[in-house]
Amino acid sequence: MKAPFSQYLSDIAPALKDLIAILGSRYDYVSILSTDSAGFNISISQSSKSVSNQNMTTERGSVVRVCRNGLYSEAAFNEFDPSDAARMAEQLTQRLEDQLALLEECGSKIYETDILPDEPLELYAEKETQQLPESCDIKSLVEYMSGLSDSGMEKTEGALDVIVRAVSTHISKIFLTANRDMRQSYVFTEASVVSYAPSVHGDIRVVFDGVSGCGGPEIIYGLDEKISGLPKVMKDLVTADSIEPGEYDIITEPGVTGLIAHEAFGHGVEMDMFVKGRALGAEYIGKRVGSDKVTMHEGALCDESVTAYVFDDEGTPAGDVTEIDRGILKGGICDALSALRLSVRPTGNGKRENYAHKVYTRMTNTVFDSGDDTLEDMIASIENGYLLAGMDSGMEDPKHWGIQCIINRGYEIRDGKLTGKVVAPVIMTGYVPDVLGSVSMASKDRRVDGNGACGKGYKEWVKVADGGPYLKMRARLG
Amino acid sequence: MIVNTFELIKEKLEALDCEAWELAETCEERWEFYFIRHRLDQNRAVNTREYEVRVYKKSDDGQFIGSAADRISPTASPEDIDRVLEKLLYQAGLVKNPYYTITQKQETPEAASGSGTGVREIAGDYIRTLAGIEESDTAYINSYEIFVSGIRRHFLNSNGAEYEFEYPSSEVEVVTNARDGSHEIELHRIYHSGTCDPERLKADIVKVMQYGEDRLKAVPSPVNGRCSVLLSTSDAVPVYMYFADKMHADYVFRRISDWKKGDPVQGSDAEGDLVTIEAVADLPGSSTNYPADSEGSIIYDRYLVRDGIAQDYCGSRQFSQYLGLEKSSLISNIKVSGGKLTEEELRAEAGEYLEIVEFSDFQVDSMSGDIAGEIRLGYWHHDGEVTVVTGGSVSGSMNEAVRDMRFCKETVRYNNRVIPAVTLLKNMRITGVSV
Repeated sequence: MKAPFSQYLSDIAPALKDLIAILGSRYDYVSILSTDSAGFNISISQSSKSVSNQNMTTERGSVVRVCRNGLYSEAAFNEFDPSDAARMAEQLTQRLEDQLALLEECGSKIYETDILPDEPLELYAEKETQQLPESCDIKSLVEYMSGLSDSGMEKTEGALDVIVRAVSTHISKIFLTANRDMRQSYVFTEASVVSYAPSVHGDIRVVFDGVSGCGGPEIIYGLDEKISGLPKVMKDLVTADSIEPGEYDIITEPGVTGLIAHEAFGHGVEMDMFVKGRALGAEYIGKRVGSDKVTMHEGALCDESVTAYVFDDEGTPAGDVTEIDRGILKGGICDALSALRLSVRPTGNGKRENYAHKVYTRMTNTVFDSGDDTLEDMIASIENGYLLAGMDSGMEDPKHWGIQCIINRGYEIRDGKLTGKVVAPVIMTGYVPDVLGSVSMASKDRRVDGNGACGKGYKEWVKVADGGPYLKMRARLG
Repeated sequence: MIVNTFELIKEKLEALDCEAWELAETCEERWEFYFIRHRLDQNRAVNTREYEVRVYKKSDDGQFIGSAADRISPTASPEDIDRVLEKLLYQAGLVKNPYYTITQKQETPEAASGSGTGVREIAGDYIRTLAGIEESDTAYINSYEIFVSGIRRHFLNSNGAEYEFEYPSSEVEVVTNARDGSHEIELHRIYHSGTCDPERLKADIVKVMQYGEDRLKAVPSPVNGRCSVLLSTSDAVPVYMYFADKMHADYVFRRISDWKKGDPVQGSDAEGDLVTIEAVADLPGSSTNYPADSEGSIIYDRYLVRDGIAQDYCGSRQFSQYLGLEKSSLISNIKVSGGKLTEEELRAEAGEYLEIVEFSDFQVDSMSGDIAGEIRLGYWHHDGEVTVVTGGSVSGSMNEAVRDMRFCKETVRYNNRVIPAVTLLKNMRITGVSV
């Protein structure tokens, strides 16, 4: 079935167009993004169960972007009377005028920007899904998730709890200007199983696995496969030791590969950072930043994941950017305002945390391309190293190209074989071009995971997905 | 007569066949200003109103209770609201947790400090303060983002517990650069606060710019193996949140924490300073000065840990009742007491240590106790010298570090956390760059 576009947004669209027309007489540019996204967030564990129809992407509201005398301003709101667009226009104008009065008092100068192009464009997209979060059978889902938690507890030795979480959102967004009418509706879903148990050292170790994708709650039932892998991983983790710090040959499983893609170059080529002079990548376009084995793509069109939208929050159609081509940095991703300032084309990466937040250049799917190698050959090629699995967290450093990845566990490899010894946790650090320059093998398969969220620094959280194949490289572990 | 959406939802909740309900209206006025090199990139005005509803349903045998929650848009029609509430009632019956009760009616608490300050005034203070910071050709501000909110919250539940309060909340992100020819360093800070404290903000940004100039001179971290790590910035906050998290009723009930009241949580033979952590309702300057928590429980002052001994748990109604607590609430502000030695004495006594002032992302995992962070800027104090270093990582375990951690007498506030000005973690594992 098609995910139906929001009736509420369809109903208010004529009034939003009236609002644009009124504001258009006062400003050089006017656009509106309105959202109406319903969903759920279910958590089931041995110790507590909860159901909510709120999650980080459920929302209903609007944001108006205007430009006058080179200054872009935005007003976000979630109370709108469609029968009185004129009053809304007055309120929004007054709110922005109040701010400008303060800025004038403070003597603030303006960063002048040209007027965004507004070529005519109409688009109506409803993506496929089997179920909708707002109307699916929640009772069956709760029973299924309870069963998973129970069976996970039964099979995972020492587990203190097994938490099963599921989030699904039916996104509807409309983007309007004087010349544009773009409407999209799609569903994304993610679910995970998390278990924790005391280790032999007395601390608590946590295992995580998940499923995700562009689709409805039917995706959640893929957790069957994930829960079956928990007992073995937990057994490995509870006996894991600390790693001996050093530089090693490593193989990254697709989840860790994705973390590196995201932190190493994903953030490094967000071009709103180029505008501020905050990214080293601006100086490396056309230069080598990795080995021949490294090709990386970014864009909502790259994978049918949790962030596979049709257009971004500024009305730019989704894209697929080749960021690195066989080791050479080709280009970055860009929101519309930054693109205007840099005289480049926007790539469809202007995203907001929600309607009430500002647009920044943000990642969607960030993915390394596959290679020709097998995992078996990659393991056989390592004398002394680790197979790293399970991403915990990472942090970008676009200005200096440092990288920090916290990884759940490492499996020791000696003389071309896995020894069965496990270390945890593992901190991987390094200089990005050194790390990517050391990539020497890539597996044929690849996987894209969408269970995480990404912050711009420590704020503005959005859904992203990332992944790739198994990669062999060299890095510093601690 | 129905006068507004809050009253409309309340009326419909009262007519619903449920065990209990909670309703909260949150109104936010937020002013945002984005600057690139002191030029205004964009200004934003955000005005929102939201209604959060939670409906509780008891099982037929009275042993269990379930709840379901949703957010109702102010644009929802009366029919929309009916549909939401019916759905919540159904969903609440799908989840079964051991029975617990919601907050009882209590005396209305007083407004917290800072609650009367307007968004315009606070935003103006930030704009002027940041514009007035002294810069040079080699150390300057790259960009900053200012977010100032005035938040009003009205809470009501089916027991008649009702609170209405306002508080300011602000956040400033500042990026500074230091440059030596073509070699440029960036440092980043996010400051959270209630109102603006110009002098304090200015002093910290000036210090950060000095860190940037120091990092220009930094050498790859030569330290390898075990050594003491001294934290003298807000990165030390997670060290103390480890203690607070371990005293969370949720953690205890879920067996993530095995800390029991009266336990010497740093060990009976602890060799370091003993930690005292107090949860407080009102902390001047904090962005979380509200008198009641999200469930309507009054936030009250109490010790979580005192002189290294576990005292009171904190947490939600559900888990607090499961632990048999008669009184509890979620916590907002934390005050950690200082140690025995002054900062100067502690530094002198520490011997060789690595003082780290910039991490990529310093983390203390309260579940596992794992400590991890990539070092962006540190000062290696050794043999009477100080070497500025960068790169490598620190790792360790809080479970072990609590036994001999040290901290100084002086304290400093980072938004809603007051902690000792410097914290010394011994025997941390350092992976240097030249391994």
